[in-house]
Amino acid sequence: MKKVLALLLAVVMVIGVLAGCGGQANTGGQTGTDQPSQAPSQSQGTQKDLEPIKLGNIQDLTGSASEAGVANAWGVEYAVKMINSQGGINGRMIELYTEDCKNDATEALNAYRKLVDEIGIHALIGPPLSNSAATWKELVEEDQIPCVGHFMDESCTTDENGNVYKYMFLAEPGCIQQSYSIAKFALEKLGIKTAGVLYNTANAFAVAHAKPFMDYINAKGGKIVVEETFSWSDADYSAQAAKVAAANPDAVFLSDYAAQAKLCYQQLREAGYKGIILGANTLALPFPTLVDGEIYDLYFLQNVDMFSEGTDCYDLLQAFFKENPDSTYPKVNACFGYDAVMVMADAMRRAKDPTDGAEVQALLEQTKDVPTSSGPITIDPKTHRPVGMPMYIATYDENNNVKIVDKIFVSEDALK
Amino acid sequence: MTGKLFIQLLVNGISIGAVYALIAVGFALVFSVLKFSNFSFGGTISACAFIGFFFQKAFNQPPYWITVLVSSVAGVLIALTVDLLGFNRIRKKNSPKIYYFLSSVVFAIMIEQILTVFYGTQMYAFPSIFATTTLQIGGITFSKLDMTILAIAISLLVILIIIIDKTKLGLAIRAVAINSNTSRLMGINSSVIIVLTFAIAGFLGGITGVMLGQKYSVYASLGPSMMLKGFIASVIGGLGSLGGAIVAAILLGVVEIFATFVFGAEIVPIVLFGIMLIFLLVRPQGIAGRIAEEKA
Repeated sequence: MKKVLALLLAVVMVIGVLAGCGGQANTGGQTGTDQPSQAPSQSQGTQKDLEPIKLGNIQDLTGSASEAGVANAWGVEYAVKMINSQGGINGRMIELYTEDCKNDATEALNAYRKLVDEIGIHALIGPPLSNSAATWKELVEEDQIPCVGHFMDESCTTDENGNVYKYMFLAEPGCIQQSYSIAKFALEKLGIKTAGVLYNTANAFAVAHAKPFMDYINAKGGKIVVEETFSWSDADYSAQAAKVAAANPDAVFLSDYAAQAKLCYQQLREAGYKGIILGANTLALPFPTLVDGEIYDLYFLQNVDMFSEGTDCYDLLQAFFKENPDSTYPKVNACFGYDAVMVMADAMRRAKDPTDGAEVQALLEQTKDVPTSSGPITIDPKTHRPVGMPMYIATYDENNNVKIVDKIFVSEDALK
Repeated sequence: MTGKLFIQLLVNGISIGAVYALIAVGFALVFSVLKFSNFSFGGTISACAFIGFFFQKAFNQPPYWITVLVSSVAGVLIALTVDLLGFNRIRKKNSPKIYYFLSSVVFAIMIEQILTVFYGTQMYAFPSIFATTTLQIGGITFSKLDMTILAIAISLLVILIIIIDKTKLGLAIRAVAINSNTSRLMGINSSVIIVLTFAIAGFLGGITGVMLGQKYSVYASLGPSMMLKGFIASVIGGLGSLGGAIVAAILLGVVEIFATFVFGAEIVPIVLFGIMLIFLLVRPQGIAGRIAEEKA
């Protein structure tokens, strides 16, 4: 009798524990907490199928990059909601766990450890800033956590010898391809013969753009006649601007974030430089609202055409505006977050077990023509970066409205 | 280097030096009476830049001087609030100087974070105050905004020096700077003088905030990002010396511009910190000397 009673008690306890676990997994919550923001909404399939896929999401929700990071996080949440509303990944819902990395590498590492060690995520969506993502590029392989994001510095996806970081995947063209694109546009469409560069040597983003730009110009018949630099601690670039203006190249490539690029632009014009100014996608909106004075002969990179109706990114950005009525201009980062989830979800759909990091990693390497708001994405297994994605070149009209002037594709192997 | 280019760089250097001078003087004023570097001044500058920007927006671009005035009054209120919450109790308990320093760093971070929470990290731009941004004199191009900032900064600093050197308030500030206890025995209300000193620094912070916002755009880390140069200038000038801080800041701006032009920007921090190190080793009392020696 005692044995039967003990057996019954044991069965009751096991059922109780299982029920408790199930209840915990179904708890709703808010972004930026330990609770998932997208809990399963309905029961489907077997007990195994009911287990949600835990997707980590590390973005710059506060700090100096939050303007982009918040839009990125919105794109991720929007994509997860959409996937769950359509039945999830092969019937399994996605639970999203979002953490803030505050544009700080230490915070990024802490966020990663928390998601992996405490939450037990199965995959990760990374931030657009490379410095943060670089902190876990080797750890994800140890932990078998596939990571997709917009960390465009090539050093996040391949090492100095060209070997891939197995679990890191980029979902937009890298810095090399982007810089080649604007250099090619300047040489072929604007007909420049000489160029200069003005960039921040303390910013990996700026250096990763400036160097390939110079390489392409020099390799394709142009000539870099002046190279000037600055760093975070510099408050004034008038000396650099004076040197660039004295060299008077046909075009100058500015490479840094918007705050510094704005001052570079102003001081170049104030120094008397009247030529063409080129820039990365940091010169997109709201750049012209920051500049004191007229904007002319300025061309910059854009990942997508955000202003033409009927495109996937246009529709996505309309949804962004609807949910963020205070936003005054379209933010490409909303598309970035969405695209990263789409790439990850595609690999998970093809997996037997979407929570198996090794299997999803192998399938991410085979990513081909995945529809995203930036167009179809195909990942090169040798670099873990997209192949065949074009870049757009934009300028501002007399009313400072963005005008797309060209769509360019250059391979990152163009100089090899 | 041509003569024209030399003059242009010199003017640019003096112009950026004038901005550093406003920050350095804000440092020096508080250091002179309380003997600590008030890093919360950077937060005050950022907050005033935001207040100036939103005042302009709310009242549909009122005359520029009204915006500057409103921002300055706001600077006074912020500085007094910081003093009340952050330093007053430390002062009354006669706590070690390190507490002032820690409190000022805490307030610097706190103000920046509060601004970030409310306004994000988006940058806001003041509307242009000139139809065209540059001015040609004798074949040399000058930035109208830089010239305006230079004129305002020099005027303010001259007024401040007159107040400090020629008025009873200035005499009282100088007396408290030398020894607050002795000043009290001489009938000076040291507590009131300290509060007034914070108010003057806050007033300067308000003007600096609007001018930096006009030049660089308005964002939460605007003030803190400029503090390093202001601090270097106040050290070279002689911590606590207004005249020394002004001379050092202008020299710093000029050296920075010419060093950048000649050696490149990567060398400039080595040059600037090298100069600061030399002063600390050879002449720790800074350019001004006398007042700082008395404090030491």
